[in-house]
Amino acid sequence: MDSLYLLIPIALVFCAIAIKLLLWAINNGQYDDLDKEAWRILADDNPIPPATPEDKQEQQPESTER
Amino acid sequence: MPPSIDASNSSTALLCYHCGEDVPAGVSLPIDIGGESRPMCCPGCRAVAGLIADSGLGNFYLQRTAFNERPVQAESAALEQYRIYDDAEVAASFTDTATDGSLSASLLLGGITCAACTWLIEQSLSRLPGVTRALVNLQQSRLDIQFDPTQLLLSEIFAQVEALGYRPRPFQASIQRQQMAEEYRTELRRLAVAGLGMMQVGMFAIALHAGDIQGIDSRYQGLLRSVSLLVASFIVFYSARPFFSTAWRHLKRGALVMDLPVALAIGLAWLASAWATFTGTGQVYFDSVVMFTFFLLLGRFLEHRVRQRHSLTWFDAESTLPGAVTVWRAEQWVMAPRIQLQPGDTILVKAGDTIPVDAEILDGNSAVQEDTFNGEHLPRAVTTHDTIYAGTTNIDGALQARVLGDYRDSRLAALQRSVELAQTEKPQLAMLADRIASWFVAGILLVSAITAVTWSQIAPDQAFWVTLSVLVISCPCALALATPAALTSAASALRATGVIVRGENALDSLSRATHLLFDKTGTLTEGTLAIVQVRPLAELSAREILSIGAGLQHFSTHPVARTFASIRGASGLTSVDYRVGAGLEAQKDGTSYRMGSEQFCRQLAPELPEAPNDDLYWIALCKEDYPLAWIGLNDRTREGAGAVVSSARKAGLLLELLTGDSSPQGPLLAGKLGIDTVNRGLSPQQKMAHVQELQASGAIVAMVGDGLNDAPVLSLADASFAVAGATDLARTQADFVIVGGDLQAVTSTWRKARQCRRIILQNFAWALGYNICAIPLAAMGFVPPWAAAVGMSLSSLLVVANSLRLNGSPT
Repeated sequence: MDSLYLLIPIALVFCAIAIKLLLWAINNGQYDDLDKEAWRILADDNPIPPATPEDKQEQQPESTER
Repeated sequence: MPPSIDASNSSTALLCYHCGEDVPAGVSLPIDIGGESRPMCCPGCRAVAGLIADSGLGNFYLQRTAFNERPVQAESAALEQYRIYDDAEVAASFTDTATDGSLSASLLLGGITCAACTWLIEQSLSRLPGVTRALVNLQQSRLDIQFDPTQLLLSEIFAQVEALGYRPRPFQASIQRQQMAEEYRTELRRLAVAGLGMMQVGMFAIALHAGDIQGIDSRYQGLLRSVSLLVASFIVFYSARPFFSTAWRHLKRGALVMDLPVALAIGLAWLASAWATFTGTGQVYFDSVVMFTFFLLLGRFLEHRVRQRHSLTWFDAESTLPGAVTVWRAEQWVMAPRIQLQPGDTILVKAGDTIPVDAEILDGNSAVQEDTFNGEHLPRAVTTHDTIYAGTTNIDGALQARVLGDYRDSRLAALQRSVELAQTEKPQLAMLADRIASWFVAGILLVSAITAVTWSQIAPDQAFWVTLSVLVISCPCALALATPAALTSAASALRATGVIVRGENALDSLSRATHLLFDKTGTLTEGTLAIVQVRPLAELSAREILSIGAGLQHFSTHPVARTFASIRGASGLTSVDYRVGAGLEAQKDGTSYRMGSEQFCRQLAPELPEAPNDDLYWIALCKEDYPLAWIGLNDRTREGAGAVVSSARKAGLLLELLTGDSSPQGPLLAGKLGIDTVNRGLSPQQKMAHVQELQASGAIVAMVGDGLNDAPVLSLADASFAVAGATDLARTQADFVIVGGDLQAVTSTWRKARQCRRIILQNFAWALGYNICAIPLAAMGFVPPWAAAVGMSLSSLLVVANSLRLNGSPT
């Protein structure tokens, strides 16, 4: 049971990393538009593209300028 | 694809495939989308749908989750208007030039109804040559676009967005908007931290609870408690901070709000558990503390989100004005930005344009539609030396006018100021939850005191811990969740029926409303004239008369002409002449025809009898020496107006009509529908004063309106509705926005608000009942920490489940 003294701090470190990542994503604006992203993942990507095959479907995550 | 024939299938309730409104009888504008013929209600919708289908984006219609807004009439001058944004100086406030020469711009889009709209706009814009990036933010209705200015002009982007049926405007960063975005992120950060922390603490708590039951080495208990303390402290100080600050802020003013018992519970439970950890005695409640914080933050976050999604706080009256005006500079007419106008400049306002500033007419005769100020759709005739006002529409002829002052001095700016004044003067009704909170706090403190005193007599060494467990058990989680859960649920149920909830206390206020006030034109009526009666004066059928009339009216821009827009006009009319303030004249088969005012037609046909003596708006039609007909027009009562009024009466609401129209139409309509009180001829400011008077006498006022002139009063009323087709300013001020055309949504929303109030009361009853059962047990020292955590979660779940019943069909 002494391993707890090692494992619990490790768990806390992981938790801290997860929180850090999440906060980074929020500050980065990735959660600013929950409705749209929720819908977009279900939407058809290719709406019968008439002309441009190299259509820039994938947008980079919006970088916020502040 | 067989084209549908006028009368056959358009008489049944056919819905426009684009905007979802009824297709008016006699209109047949089908369009082919996705291999099927789809009905369209107006040329505007047809143009937009045609563009979408032709660019291969027809899938949009399969993917959207809400109907589009009906586009405003396509104006040929639109592109011209946007030209001014090609001037780098004008565009500077919302554009940015990158080092590689590309330009990024932010545009606000009106009319976005669902996520598929963002897809449509992004797809359509990213195909324009030169566009490198187009991203629409649904939450903020904002388009961020990056493009190469050498290949594409900014005005073309505006025009493309407009062609898709949305209303583009430059995105002006406002402090309020930035604050909203920042608050949203802050809330989300707090929620995220609380969620992750809750999982950690919960994990340790299971070990601790198990240890309580089967025994645990005090070494490990101490370890688990200290790590729990570490994580929980972070959550209490980071995530739960707003509860403390709100409670303190209100306490300083002597007000007790729901956040006070919340802050007390979190604070005390945390303190006690920290004490227990350090001394190695007693019990810890860290899991309850963090769970409570998380549930509550989640409830509030969801409630805010459901309302903020449709907030339009960016809109103000000034944005209805055109950005570009035609002004006389250096001996010629040039387009210039409106903001550069100086008093004394001479401007030209074409027929159909919105007047950009308050001005005095130098030359020209016309009629102006001043529904901005009086809500009416029939125009006022104006001529040289008359004053015309910013925000009104010039209907008949071109006018040259001298600018009197800038926007700040205009009558429209005064209206905007009234709106802002109304916002600050809106009475704050105390929320049900806050009123209960004060009783709750008093009750808990009393019970704790009694427990402490009693136990100090029986067993002084246990008194502290038992008193603490009373405070923790009384944790008002269910109580604090009762309101946000019910409000979120009711708001999403209403959204599904086409009503957007925007106001914070709106549902609560609406459920307690005593007065229901209506605007007339555009709210109880459709706000557009319709042909009600045709009285032939010659051997002609009504159909032939209307066809000649329509043939003439198709040459006019007067509001009357719109009523004939859907009628097939007679052909062979030549040399059509339009006389401002009189009517139309034309030649057909060598005879003159006239249509318009009595006097104007009598010049041609002296035998024309008097206009029929009733309250319609009559126009005459005649040919040389020969009167043909009187055509009676009226503003048709909106479908469902009668039903709304009668069911509101039955529910015991006092009804009033507030109208800017001073004609007898107001009392007539009120009599027909059964509205008790009529106040007519009111200016926006008088409407406000009237509502304030009612509120001062203790009434809770709900108001239904649509126009710019209603905006101040909508903002002031305790609960307010903007109906379909309402102006943007009215929408921003209303607590409820009715998206569909159905006025009956007013009563169904009212019923939902009552139901929501019942559910909130049930939630309170349950939460208090739970406390009444649990507190005596805790006071007797029977409740261990794990039971407290389970009890709290279960009672909160029950509250949420009860609130979800609001999502069902209306009762």
